[in-house]
Amino acid sequence: MRKMIAVLRREYLSTVRKKMFIFMTLFFPVLMAALFVLPGLMMSRALGDKHVAVIDATGALRGSFDRSMPPAAIDPKKALTSRESRRELPQTLAVVYVDAHDRDPKAASAPYLTRLGLDRKSAEKLDAVLVIPANAFVSPEASMTFYSRAATDLFTQERLGSVANRAIQRQRLTTNGIAPGAVDALTRQVPVQGVQLSRSGEQKKGGEGNFIVGFIFAALLIIPSFVYGTEIMRGIIQEKTDRIVEILISSMTPRQLLTGKIVGVALVGLTQISVWLLIGVAVASFGAATAMMAGVNVMQFLRPMVFVYFVIFFLLAYMTYVCVYAVAGAVCNTDKEAQQLIAPISMVMMLPWFMMVAIITNPDSSIAVGFSLSPVFGPITMFVRTLVSEPPLIHIVISILVSLVTISVFFWATAKIFRVGILSYGKRPTIPELWRWIKVA
Amino acid sequence: MSEVLAVHDVVKSFGDLRAVDGVSFTVRRGTITGLLGRNGAGKTTTIRMITGIFLPDSGSIQWRDGVQNAQDRIGYLPEERGLYRQMKLRELLLFLAEIKGKRGPAVVASIERWLERFELTDKRDAKVEELSKGNQQKIQLIATLLHDPDLIILDEPQSGLDPVNMVIVRNLLQELKAEGRTILLSTHMMGEAERMADDIVLVHRGQVVLSGSLEEVRASAGKNTLHIDYDGDGAFLEQLPQIARARIVNHAAELTLADGADPQDVLRAAVGKLRIRKFEVAAPSLEEIFIEKVGMETLEAAQ
Repeated sequence: MRKMIAVLRREYLSTVRKKMFIFMTLFFPVLMAALFVLPGLMMSRALGDKHVAVIDATGALRGSFDRSMPPAAIDPKKALTSRESRRELPQTLAVVYVDAHDRDPKAASAPYLTRLGLDRKSAEKLDAVLVIPANAFVSPEASMTFYSRAATDLFTQERLGSVANRAIQRQRLTTNGIAPGAVDALTRQVPVQGVQLSRSGEQKKGGEGNFIVGFIFAALLIIPSFVYGTEIMRGIIQEKTDRIVEILISSMTPRQLLTGKIVGVALVGLTQISVWLLIGVAVASFGAATAMMAGVNVMQFLRPMVFVYFVIFFLLAYMTYVCVYAVAGAVCNTDKEAQQLIAPISMVMMLPWFMMVAIITNPDSSIAVGFSLSPVFGPITMFVRTLVSEPPLIHIVISILVSLVTISVFFWATAKIFRVGILSYGKRPTIPELWRWIKVA
Repeated sequence: MSEVLAVHDVVKSFGDLRAVDGVSFTVRRGTITGLLGRNGAGKTTTIRMITGIFLPDSGSIQWRDGVQNAQDRIGYLPEERGLYRQMKLRELLLFLAEIKGKRGPAVVASIERWLERFELTDKRDAKVEELSKGNQQKIQLIATLLHDPDLIILDEPQSGLDPVNMVIVRNLLQELKAEGRTILLSTHMMGEAERMADDIVLVHRGQVVLSGSLEEVRASAGKNTLHIDYDGDGAFLEQLPQIARARIVNHAAELTLADGADPQDVLRAAVGKLRIRKFEVAAPSLEEIFIEKVGMETLEAAQ
């Protein structure tokens, strides 16, 4: 026991002192936030400070465009909740409206198109030009043209296009005898609201939030397992290349060594998620406040039990993967060799991650249930299920038991392979050889 | 003198290869036992069974005096040497002592003593990788000796050492022996074993071909070896009828006499053609005994 603890302590301290750990601990949450928040932020920001010109050859749409205002901050609540707002002119678009009904649209647009090429600092600079053809109301072949320097400015194109379409629709309806005041009421879209009906009959709103929370937690669960699995694998190979391993196993049993290592690194993982949860709590108040403003009650996804499940399934997933990586480390001699060996295996182990969309959107489908009760894939899938739905308790218990058995078997085999493999500096063993190692040791 | 360890008829196979095939020997307290043999003879596998890294397929390894926790009682310097390169010296040594079951203030004091003995006190907070190769070897030796083992096992301790360091290790072994420690020394360098060992165990292809105290072994071989140093061309010595085997290197010949041959005949033949600087009738070297035992042919075949 003492020896195991000595190994555990060494493993823990040497890992926690690594730059990798400090980086992962402090920057991973930032990275995750960036990954999920930035695209949204950038999309809404993409509108900001845009100067566009609308060349209207029909001359009838001034009302929808001609309110050039200085760019202002967008209202996050409106941006997140209201689909209707997509069809209104965003306040962040500064529009120059050009009535070209008496002119050739090409000639009318020419001076504006040259302004696309101006330097960004210039006050005359335009980011995009939209040309609406004269036959927009009548011809089924009519199409608008969107000019911009960045071919990928799809967001501005889409927003401007839908505002123009809305204006054209409104115009068509009024010319067909519908009172202008009635048009908005008649064309109002009816939004679809996602409601999750739980076992207890409780209702929750905000399916999109659920989706994102599911992804974030799955990532929190899966990424440390892989990162520290790799750490363990490299640590074992390092011990082989440093030739210290012979001293280690002439001083203790391979089982003591392996236990010390795995538990040591498991504690590293727990330390890390504790730090994350602390950061999370700090950020949550801010984040939740923002989300609440958007009408999404984040706390409804985070029942207290979720944290209990998180720790349980984190440890299960972690132990499963780490055993696999430890074997890879024991049978390989170089990092490169081990990476090659582990790459296909980790792809298989990542399967739940690749199927995350299916699992989150359909947590009670037979695939999700099957995955959650199977070895190796179980912990991650089951955790996501508990997060986004309420699986029967028996499923959770079976999943935990299956994982415990899997880990015991893996651990047993790993310890055996460890004993033989860790001292073999020769070529990598084949599967039959591995099996013989398990039997021999 | 009492025995520390008795290895009895141990066998270890790897696949079809019988790496160790019925090896038996004993290690006496307070002596240096030389475990000799060519590379691949089965020395390291034997040692790995003693240290508990491998379990023998059959046979037994018995500790006398009711030794418990055998692994903790051994100080082992593997042939493949290495340390955690990222660790600081003192932390590393504390860790290595702890996995041998030793901890607390006594170990800390012991570490200081050893660092002082090897003149490394000022380096104690340095990382292993910052040390020179020679100093790393010293640390490795400290790690072997730190927990005050009953049996010190050194596997090829002089491999990769320069002549100066070889002398240092040789002196250290003599000091340890003088302190009453028991040492099992594995080496393929017969000359080194001859200088240091009290007992020898000669293994070849997994089997013991010769064992006993060095004096016994040499006495049993008889005085049938001539050492001649000379000036001139000594190639003809090999052809003399009195000579069974010859090793001639750079104006020095080690000649094994044929049965019943008279050394004086050889001297007479040599005097006519060479300037003799030294002529000695002696017991054969361990290397000669070894070659005699296993036969030149098998050695050549093995290479």
